[in-house]
Amino acid sequence: MDLLTTSVATVESASEPCTVVELAGEADVTNSDALREVLEAEVAKQPRMLIIDLSGLRFMDSSALHVILRANRVMDRQGGVLALAAPREPVAKMLRLTAADQLIPVYASVSEATAE
Amino acid sequence: MADPPAAAPAFWHAGFLYRSDAEYADTVAGFLREGLTRGEPVFAAVPPAKVSLLTDALGADARHAQFADMTQLGRNPAWIIPRVLAFAERHAGRHVRYVGEPVWDTRSAAELREATRHEALINLAFADADADILCPYDTVRLAPAVIADARRTHPLLLPAGGRGIARGHAAPHQIPSSCSSPLPAPPHDAMIHTYRTDLARVRALVSEHARKAGLSDTRAGDLVLAVSEAAANTLRHTRSHGSLSIWHDEDEVVCEIRDEGTITDPLAGRRRPVPGAPGGHGLWLVHQVCDLVEVRSDDSGTTIRMHMAITPPQAAG
Repeated sequence: MDLLTTSVATVESASEPCTVVELAGEADVTNSDALREVLEAEVAKQPRMLIIDLSGLRFMDSSALHVILRANRVMDRQGGVLALAAPREPVAKMLRLTAADQLIPVYASVSEATAE
Repeated sequence: MADPPAAAPAFWHAGFLYRSDAEYADTVAGFLREGLTRGEPVFAAVPPAKVSLLTDALGADARHAQFADMTQLGRNPAWIIPRVLAFAERHAGRHVRYVGEPVWDTRSAAELREATRHEALINLAFADADADILCPYDTVRLAPAVIADARRTHPLLLPAGGRGIARGHAAPHQIPSSCSSPLPAPPHDAMIHTYRTDLARVRALVSEHARKAGLSDTRAGDLVLAVSEAAANTLRHTRSHGSLSIWHDEDEVVCEIRDEGTITDPLAGRRRPVPGAPGGHGLWLVHQVCDLVEVRSDDSGTTIRMHMAITPPQAAG
């Protein structure tokens, strides 16, 4: 089984449909290129909102974080919003310690993110 | 206040070797009061008993100074420099005063090595800062070797009473051998695992061992993150294998990552990365989540030794 699995879906939000990328498993330096490809492909479609669902992610390292930060910069430039949803505690702590949670909105769930 | 000289920012880093509470109150409170009188931002991070001593000595003036319990703020000495840099940055453009007492007698040998290293790194981290830094040392309770290192890490030494100043033995950018020579060897029964790309296996081994040794889920998760970040550097920066050693005793779990990489910046992981920075988070996280981290690096390779106490640490008395 792959260490990291990704799946992409479109969900309805308060305003218009938004993209949800669901991550499951462990995201680290060994699969950050694959994560980058998935995120870049979705960011290139210029969605208004891109939500990364972290609920299935047991572990995330700084390489994966850098991929997410890069996607966030491009979304910003495009006038869109990148959001993170449902990080488990170890991942949430890592987002706090790197202050990434001050740059990227973090929601308790995907539905809370789409309610914005 | 006298006009400050227009010269380059003056960085002043002095050790203060004290013998009694009275000397401490007199000299350290005097140093703080001088700053307050000049309207300087003033910050003191010292053990809790010393916070009381200083607030008592300063009386009503104490409310203008900022105090922190060093046994918490600086339990891991690598946490101190980013906090003091943040204090200086909050008051950018102004001369600041800081008292830091990172060394006390109940620290472990590894903690003392790191606290001494921290003192040496202050010279590097604040070389361009407009700051006066005073570091008190308890000459009654601390071992002579620790005091000898204080003389090596401080460019200046303030005698008791605070009058007159002597030169310390600090050579710029030099780290005393007590905290830069190779670490004591791991115990013979340490578990050793060689890895190249299977970091999931590294994490699983750390998690299993940490829980078995008695770490809580949260603290085991912290150690897993630290070790994984250290091991990720092997992949990022070398073409060879790395090795993980794990051992524990009744007090702590220790994980060590060794590889052929070289860390050239002695302050790596001790400066808070700019939010959103595309790098520099790995060693920052290692230092932030562990109780203590020891790094040794030269042309032959790098060792990162990460300590986690089995009983979650409390502030010392």
